[in-house]
Amino acid sequence: MTKQTFLHDKHIALGAKMVDFAGWHMPVQYSSIIEEHKTVRNNVGIFDVSHMGEIIIKGEDAEPYLNKIVPQNIDKLTNLKATYCQLTNKNGGIIDDLIIYKLKENEYLIIANASRIDEDLNWMVRNKVGFNLEIINESHNYSLLAVQGPLSVELLREVGLNNLPSFFNIKRDEIFGINVWISRTGYTGEDGVEILVKNEFSEYLWDKLLEYGKKYNIKPIGLGARDTLRLEAALHLYGNDLDENTTPIEAGLSWSIPKNKTVEYNGKLIIEQQLKDGVNKKLIGFKMLDKSIARHGYDIYYNKEKIGNVTSGGISPTRGDNIGLGYIKNLDNLSVGSTIQIMIREKLHDAEIIKRPFITKRNKNN
Amino acid sequence: MNESMLCTKTHEYLLEQDNKYIIGITDYAIEQLGDIVFIELPDINTEFSKNEAFATIESVKAASEIYMPISGKVIEINEEIVNNPELLNDENYENKWFIKITSDANQVEFADLLDYSDYKEEIE
Repeated sequence: MTKQTFLHDKHIALGAKMVDFAGWHMPVQYSSIIEEHKTVRNNVGIFDVSHMGEIIIKGEDAEPYLNKIVPQNIDKLTNLKATYCQLTNKNGGIIDDLIIYKLKENEYLIIANASRIDEDLNWMVRNKVGFNLEIINESHNYSLLAVQGPLSVELLREVGLNNLPSFFNIKRDEIFGINVWISRTGYTGEDGVEILVKNEFSEYLWDKLLEYGKKYNIKPIGLGARDTLRLEAALHLYGNDLDENTTPIEAGLSWSIPKNKTVEYNGKLIIEQQLKDGVNKKLIGFKMLDKSIARHGYDIYYNKEKIGNVTSGGISPTRGDNIGLGYIKNLDNLSVGSTIQIMIREKLHDAEIIKRPFITKRNKNN
Repeated sequence: MNESMLCTKTHEYLLEQDNKYIIGITDYAIEQLGDIVFIELPDINTEFSKNEAFATIESVKAASEIYMPISGKVIEINEEIVNNPELLNDENYENKWFIKITSDANQVEFADLLDYSDYKEEIE
């Protein structure tokens, strides 16, 4: 049974093309993916991302418990701050990538991927033995709206949000008399917020933001543009770029891993060994050197030898070329600037390894 | 769309003109694909059998193969859409054909092609 968000009827009324995604009937585009993409880069867009999971961890052992299930330093997280985390298994493989918010002492909010909520909860419950806390799945009670783009701050100011939280912070606030959690996060590389609201108020909030956003040329944005936006920002997509057989180090997420975490956590031995000795496979970003488009699953070649595969690929409306992410064997002679090949319909096409992100992120200038 | 064209269930069309055939994809297919960003057409003089993939079209989301409604030999390709794939999404642009072919196909190859009116019913 495909699930629907509380905004489902709104999407239909807006003429959205709907697709099944992670068990949800979601809008993939309203007008054109490229137009929607440009709207978020130049103005402001609003996304229904209510399929995402919300899990509350509450209780006196919440902090040491979270510290055991992710490599990040949860004990260093202060009230109303967030951190990007990975839920790791015993081998350091990524069960899910998460944002963890500290709402107050002994209470944390986890935003999880829709496709992984069940696996996350299973793993969390299995790791709970000996800890005094509650794991509460609130996913069915909350809707999540993302407002993203360079004009998002101006729009939010207009609806009365004068003191937005700073980057990767969250706060309790009120819009149109509705209580919300508002966080300065997103999945586009642009400045913006994500607004967590009780389901019964989501339609009202959606309509109001679209109404007030008119003068900023706001558009509703589907999952299609969400994917092209996150790819340009080189943000990983779970299931494509991350999975249970890939560690955060292999995934190019070393920046998110504390180097001297004293507390034990799942996968610590392997993760620390990889930090010290290096990895056998690694994530790269590349651009195609012709007009062809790399797609998820295509093989990557170097010197006529298969060295890996593409995990995400597509067009970059902002750059005007075609880009991708993939995993390759960690060969010494391959780095930024090297030419590799992508096998597309039985022909090899040249691509160049380039720096990630693929665009200059504009979400931290505040 | 021309009323005298024949269509496939995979949304290609075939239109006879001066002993040649024009092949493309239907407006419905274009609308379903969304933003078209890449088109690969075959070389002139390439021969294809019926139902063989002769072209690839990529939208932002995915790549799709385009199949021959009947067998034939490519005599002309639409370079303009190869160089500007976004023209296919332009409602004011009319030159949306992909290739022109000559064909010796017998009636059997036409048996499963749909009249445009039947095709329209099929997609509704």
